[in-house]
Amino acid sequence: MTKTPSTVKITVNGREVEADPTKPLIAACHEQDVDVPMYCYHPGLTPVGSCRICQVEVREGERPPRVVVACRTPVSEGLVVNTEAPAAHEARRNCLEFLLKDHPLDCPICDKAGECTLQDYTYAEGQTTGQSAEPRQNFEKRKSLGDKIVLDQERCILCSRCVRFFEEVTEKPQLTVAGLGSRSRIETFGDRPLEGNYQGNITDLCPVGALTLKQFRFQARVWNLFKKSSTCGECSRGCSISVEVLRLGEVKRIRPRYNPKVNRWWICDTGRLATEDANPEGRVPALQRGYSGLEACEVDAALGAVRAAHQAHERNLLVVSPWSTVEEGRALLQLAKALGAEPLFVSPPASGLADDLLNTGDPCPNRRGLEELGFTPRTTEEVLELLEASETATLFGERVAELVGEEALRALSASQRVFLFDVAPLDAPCVAAFVGLANWVERPGTWVNVDGNPGRIQAARPAPSGIRQPLALVEALRPMEAASR
Amino acid sequence: MIPGGELYLLRRGELKESHTLAVARKDGAYSVLEAVLKEGRDPAAVTAEVKDSGLRGRGGAGFPTGLKWTFMPDPEKDKRSRYLAVNADESEPGTCKDRVLLREDPHGLIEGCLLAAYAMRLDAVYVYVRGEYRLPYQRMQAAIDEARAAGLVGERILGSDFSCEVHMHKGAGAYICGEETGMMESLEGKRGHPRPKPPFPAGFGLWGQPTTVNNVESIFNVPFIVERGAAWFRGMGTEASPGNFLCGISGHVERPGVYEVPLGINAKTILQEYAGGVWKGRALKAWIPGGSSTGLLPGELIDTPMDHDSIKAAGSMFGTGAMIILDETACTVRASQVIARFYDHESCGQCSQCREGTQWLSEIFTRLETGRGTAADIDNLERLARNMAPGKTICALADAAAIPTLAVVRHFRDELLAHVEAGGCPLESRPSESRAGEEVPA
Repeated sequence: MTKTPSTVKITVNGREVEADPTKPLIAACHEQDVDVPMYCYHPGLTPVGSCRICQVEVREGERPPRVVVACRTPVSEGLVVNTEAPAAHEARRNCLEFLLKDHPLDCPICDKAGECTLQDYTYAEGQTTGQSAEPRQNFEKRKSLGDKIVLDQERCILCSRCVRFFEEVTEKPQLTVAGLGSRSRIETFGDRPLEGNYQGNITDLCPVGALTLKQFRFQARVWNLFKKSSTCGECSRGCSISVEVLRLGEVKRIRPRYNPKVNRWWICDTGRLATEDANPEGRVPALQRGYSGLEACEVDAALGAVRAAHQAHERNLLVVSPWSTVEEGRALLQLAKALGAEPLFVSPPASGLADDLLNTGDPCPNRRGLEELGFTPRTTEEVLELLEASETATLFGERVAELVGEEALRALSASQRVFLFDVAPLDAPCVAAFVGLANWVERPGTWVNVDGNPGRIQAARPAPSGIRQPLALVEALRPMEAASR
Repeated sequence: MIPGGELYLLRRGELKESHTLAVARKDGAYSVLEAVLKEGRDPAAVTAEVKDSGLRGRGGAGFPTGLKWTFMPDPEKDKRSRYLAVNADESEPGTCKDRVLLREDPHGLIEGCLLAAYAMRLDAVYVYVRGEYRLPYQRMQAAIDEARAAGLVGERILGSDFSCEVHMHKGAGAYICGEETGMMESLEGKRGHPRPKPPFPAGFGLWGQPTTVNNVESIFNVPFIVERGAAWFRGMGTEASPGNFLCGISGHVERPGVYEVPLGINAKTILQEYAGGVWKGRALKAWIPGGSSTGLLPGELIDTPMDHDSIKAAGSMFGTGAMIILDETACTVRASQVIARFYDHESCGQCSQCREGTQWLSEIFTRLETGRGTAADIDNLERLARNMAPGKTICALADAAAIPTLAVVRHFRDELLAHVEAGGCPLESRPSESRAGEEVPA
C-alpha cells in the first residue's frame, strides 16, 4: 500500500492553496484553474521539460525570485508562484519566438487551427510578430504514418508527446525523434506504418497540427463543431468521450474526455473512428409489410399493428439490444412482464479487439446495467432458437438486428412475425413492421460499464424528422392495463 | 621548465612504451593504490584529501571534485549500486588534453579511477571515450585488460577486499554525449538527450543509481593528491585554483600542442614561451581561453592569468583551458560563424530555445559573413543569445552557443558592422560567396 501523500501549502498567484507534492508545480497550478501553457507536458505522460513554455516565476523563502519551468519544478512547502509575473511572460514570449521560427504558420489550411495551443498562446502572450528573416526549414509536409495518421513535420514543435505516448501508455514504442538539433523530426522506426488500436490518441496529444487523423482531415473547421459529452458504446469499457457534430448534422469527430475512473485521457481507434456508425443512412420513421414489401407508414400505425399482434398471441418474444440505456431497460422490463416474455438481451460473441489497455472486446455497452436490472444475456444462437419457437418476436433497440445477425434474420421465413425497432431498417422477409429509433448521439441515457461505472450519453443532435425516442416507443408498446398500473 | 612547479601530469607519458603495464608499473603506477589498500585507509580520508586539495574539475565547469564526491549518498543507508562515469568524450572544439592522457598514460587514469572508486565505495567505473579517439580507446582497453590480468582491476584487487570493475564505452560522435546526463543516457544505450536536473547524478545517475561524473584529467590528478597530500597540491597554482592543468593551445601559433602548466600562469607566457608566439610573426587579434564555448577575448587581454577567477574577471570562462589563438588576419565573424554552426549541428534538439536558437545564430552569422547582413542583425544576435541563456534550457549547450555570440558582439561590434557596410567580409582575400554554400554534413 502506498501512503496517501500529505499535501503542502503553496501560494499560487497570491492565493494560499494545498498542493500534492508528488505532482509537479504545473499540475498544482492547473488544479487551481490557473492557466500555465504547456506543449511537452501532459498530465498522462512523464514530464521532460523540453519545450520550456511553462515558465513561471517562483520564490522560495528569502531567495530572489527566479523563472523556472513549472513541469519540472517540485512543489515544496511555502513555495510562492506567480504565473503572471512580467519576467514569466517575457520568458514565455521569448520561447514562443523560437518555437515559431520554423513553424510554417499555415493556420488557414491547418485542421488544428482554433484548438491549437501554439496559436492560442501566441495570441495570449502577444507574440504576434517575429524577427526572423531566415527561410523556414522544409520537411515532409504530408507524411503518411499508416492508414490512420498523417504527419506534417514542418508544423511539429518536437514536444515528443507522441513518442512518449507509445513508450509509456501502449508500451510499444513506435515513434522516435530522428536527427539532431534543428534537423530533428518525428519518424517511425524504420519508416514502418503505425500499428495498433490507439494511434488516434497522438492526434489529441499533438499540441499543433503536426499529427492529424486522416478521417478528420479537411472535414470541418473546429469552431463549427458542436460538442457534447457522451460515452462510447463500442465496447463495455464505456470510455468518456466528446461527440462533435457539424452544424447539428453529421458526427465529424469523436474524442476522449478525461475520466480518471475509466479511460483517463485515451480511447481506442475503434471508438474514435465510429463516426460513420453514428451517421447511418436510409433512416425512416416506420415501415409495414404491404403487398409490395416493406412500405412507409405512420409510426402509430406500425405501433398499432405490433400491439395487436402482441394481444393476439401467447408466445411473445422480446429481444433487447445491449445498447439500450438503463432508463430504457426499466421500461422494457415492464413491457416484458406485460407480454409474459423472459427479459433477455442479445449478447453477441466477443469482437476480438480486446487488449489490456481499454478495449474489453465485449460489444455490449450496457451489459452490466441490463444484467443488474434482471435481463439475461443470450447468445445469438439462443436468440435465433427462441425466435423460431415464438409466435411474435419484438427486437428492440439500437443495432439489435446487426447484433442478432442480419444474415440470420434474412434467412428466416416470412411466416415468422418479427417487429424490428432499430435505427436502420432491415429488408428481410420475416420483418412485419419496422419502427425507427433515435441512435446514441440523439438520445439521453445511462450505460453501466464493465466495472459498474455509469456513463451518460447525451443527444448531440436532434433525431431526423419523425423518428422517435426509444423510451417513448416502449411506453407506447405497453398494453393499456400495464401502462396504467 | 615550469615556473614554480613540477611536471607530474605528463611526466610518465614521456617514457617509451608508457602505456604498457610493465613500463608504468616500473615507473610507480598503482603504487598509491597498493599503499592505500595495504594500509586499509579510511575511504572518507581519501575523499577528504581530495576535497582539501581544492582540485577543481577539469571538464569545463571547474566544480570542486572532492566536494562533488561528498554528494554521494551514504552506502550504509543507500544500498543501491554506485558508479563513477569518467567523461572522456572530449569534443569541445580546441580541447585535446584528455586524449594525451588516455593515449600515453592509461594506467595512471585507471589508478585514479580505482582510488575514486575506493574513496566513494563504488561498484564499477565506466569510461566513456569519444568515438573518434581510436588509438586512445585501444590503449585504454589494452591497459584495462593488462591490469585485470595482473589482479589490479576486478575482484579482490591486489588480494584485498576491494573489488571494482572498469568498463569502456565508445561514443558515436555526438558532442552532446559529453554533457554529463547526456553521457549517462548514451551509456544506458539511449539517445544522448540530456536529462533535466534535478535529480542530480549523485542521487539518480546511471540506470537511476548514485553516480559521480568526473573528467579524465580530474581523475588523473587523484593518485598524485593521495600520494603527496593536499598541501603539496596547493603548492601549485593559485589559492582558488590549485594544481597544474593541461593547456591545449591551437590556432595561429608556431607550436600548437598540449602543455602542462600551473593554474594562474599568464596566458601570454603560454602563448610566447610554450607555443612560440603568434605564427609568422603576426600580431594577436583575439583569443579564446577555454574551448569554443568560452567567449573570445581581444588580444589586449592576453596578459591575464589562466585560472578560473582571473579569466572570469576578464569577461570569459576558463572552461577546459584550451586556448585558441586568432592572428591579425583572422575574421572574428567567420570564427563565430564556424562556432555557431558547430553548436547548431550538435544541439540535441530537445529545448526550443537551443534547437531553434543555435540554428538562428548560425544563419545570422552566415548572412553577415556572406554580405547579406544588416545592422539590425547585430542587435538581434545579442537579443537571441540573451534569450537562450543562461539557465533557460535543460543543459548548457544553449549557453555554449550564446556566450561566444555575446562575446563577439561585445568586443568586435565594429567588425560586425564592417561586414554589413562592406557587404561581406572585408578581410577576405578571396570572394566570400565561395563559402556561402558550405553546408554542415547532416
